[in-house]
Amino acid sequence: MASSTIQTLTTTFPIKEIFALHFLHSLSKLRRQKSFTGKTSERARKIKIAAYISMARATGGTSRRWSRAILWRLHRRAKARKILGYTKLKKRSSGADVGRIRRRRKDAEEDRLRTVVPGGGDMETLRLMMETAHYIKCLTMQVNVMQSIVDALSSA
Amino acid sequence: MSGRRSRSRQSSGTSRISEDQINDLIIKLQQLLPELRDSRRSDKVSAARVLQETCNYIRNLHREVDDLSERLSELLANTDTAQAALIRSLLTQ
Repeated sequence: MASSTIQTLTTTFPIKEIFALHFLHSLSKLRRQKSFTGKTSERARKIKIAAYISMARATGGTSRRWSRAILWRLHRRAKARKILGYTKLKKRSSGADVGRIRRRRKDAEEDRLRTVVPGGGDMETLRLMMETAHYIKCLTMQVNVMQSIVDALSSA
Repeated sequence: MSGRRSRSRQSSGTSRISEDQINDLIIKLQQLLPELRDSRRSDKVSAARVLQETCNYIRNLHREVDDLSERLSELLANTDTAQAALIRSLLTQ
């Protein structure tokens, strides 16, 4: 277990290039859509979703719980939109809520963490920490790439 | 009432995880946080603090993604074909 833990945390990042590729590809695809000329907020939402999907895919999609959770969440949302014609979904109560009353502050913080890491709701402590570390790395990378695209576009 | 026990006792499972492994991960997490990365030598940061800062940091990153999506949305709206070409060139890099 210990060796796999270390492996998890020392992931190298060609993931960055893969993410950038996925994301830029979906950006240019989005641009070609007719609906893309609509409201700015709607466009921003689509771009945001594209960014998270690209990141989840770049990490191998199903190999990480958090990336699986992201893809699954968006899949459910897309399905709901198709069926119901709107995006509101009942918020699924996460596993963290299940009658867990804890006194220690660390546990309270841990539960708070479960709400921000995708799929964190039903992870055990060790898994949560491992996924969190990996998620932070990927998210930081995502922000950096997005920032450099913004920079490139604004200076052009 | 129904006799179904929803509050399962799974804490026995978690005790198998050694505290060492968790502490190890807490330290690794701490090193990922700009807030706490530098303060590690001076004084020991509690696990709760690390988790709290981790949570805040992730929230900040989410917010940054939101902002950057806004920016990109605006930028792409006014993008002419020259800038579209730029995207294409970035793609091939």
